[in-house]
Amino acid sequence: MSMIEFNNVQKFYGKFHALRNINLKIDKGETVVLIGPSGSGKSTLIRTINQLESIEGGQLIVNNHDLSDSKTDANILRRDVGMVFQHFNLYANKNVLENIMLAPRIVSHVPEAENKQRAMNLLEMVGLADKAQNMPRQLSGGQKQRVAIARSLAMRPKLLLFDEPTSALDPEMIDEVLQVIKKVTMASEMTSLIVTHEMGFAKEVADRVIFMDQGHIVEDDDSQAFFNQPQTERAQQFLSKIIAH
Amino acid sequence: MQTWINAFSWINIRFLLLGLKVTLGISVIVMVLSFVIGSLMGILRFAKIKYVSATVGFIVDVVRNLPLLLIIFFTYFGLPNFGYRPDVIPAAIIAMTVFESGMIAEIVRSGIQSVATGQMEGARSTGMNFAQAMWHVVLPQAYKHMIPTLVSQLVSLIKDTSLATIIVVPEMTQQAQIVYGQNANFTLPMFVALALLYFVVCFALSLVGSLVGKQLN
Repeated sequence: MSMIEFNNVQKFYGKFHALRNINLKIDKGETVVLIGPSGSGKSTLIRTINQLESIEGGQLIVNNHDLSDSKTDANILRRDVGMVFQHFNLYANKNVLENIMLAPRIVSHVPEAENKQRAMNLLEMVGLADKAQNMPRQLSGGQKQRVAIARSLAMRPKLLLFDEPTSALDPEMIDEVLQVIKKVTMASEMTSLIVTHEMGFAKEVADRVIFMDQGHIVEDDDSQAFFNQPQTERAQQFLSKIIAH
Repeated sequence: MQTWINAFSWINIRFLLLGLKVTLGISVIVMVLSFVIGSLMGILRFAKIKYVSATVGFIVDVVRNLPLLLIIFFTYFGLPNFGYRPDVIPAAIIAMTVFESGMIAEIVRSGIQSVATGQMEGARSTGMNFAQAMWHVVLPQAYKHMIPTLVSQLVSLIKDTSLATIIVVPEMTQQAQIVYGQNANFTLPMFVALALLYFVVCFALSLVGSLVGKQLN
């Protein structure tokens, strides 16, 4: 059963062709890493999946919702599709606990006591139970991102999207976030799609790797095969440059 | 000197204060109404509903680029053509509400714009609809930024009520005119009294506004 299915999807920003003929199928439970140079369309692609970006052509089916159909309700789709952002996007006006509890309370009407218990369990899981009452501005970048991961998990999503979750972090905070992501993606049945520049992490966590360049999917292979022997010259070039660092 | 003492008799001052009551009454009613209407218009400019945000934007642009005086004229002399003949005070309230709603819509729009787009996206990504995300996440932050601007808009509003004197609303400026209308020697003293009263009310309000603003930040 597939969780995400792109059929010949096109996306334009004005005249700029951001996604070109995207064909992609991701099965339930898979952990897929999306890599490629900046501007290659990775973030755009991941943002079309929860309809933060619209598509201009082709068909996109996510968790049995047809996003090419204008009658599809994005709010219902998003209950099952979490997202973790590069800049965390924690609600600046709410404390850590409230950040996590807000959507379950007002979107899925989880009873208050249960909601709180779940939120505390999630904070425990990301190692921040003692920060429950803090405001986001009082946290470090790494802590913010771990809270954001807890927040996205609070809706018990079937699919979790990570849009460059460590790109805005100081180097020494990257690892604590990657550890949490690893824990989340490996322990559950959830499907995850991760845009990242952390190759070591990608190798470790991915079932499958998708390499994008200039709006195309250039390569789509299982993780082992991709890192050992990329098929295209563009991917080889990219990997050699990145790994050389 | 005697003229000034006579001008500031309790009868005259009391007459001005009655006008101040009307001035403040109109200001408060207009502020409340236009806060609600203006907020709604400001928020609707971000709703992705076909034609709505463009229409609201057009209305705001028209209102903001007309002199308030003209809007008062249109309301008082124009509305009767549509079968409603307002009294002077309701006419002033309607006209000023139209004008202020446009001003506040613009303040709200830029207040919302000052909140990072990531806040909205973060909320929407969890399944909240537009209204929920606005209400719980974006607006509380936006209004906090807006408080100083809203207070200074309220100060302008209080001063602008003096324009209603043109349709003989018994607000403070009009009351002063009645006083010096009866004795031309009182003209300058009345202007001085008006200036003092407007200044005290408006300056006090500005102070409160900046205190609240500092407290919140």
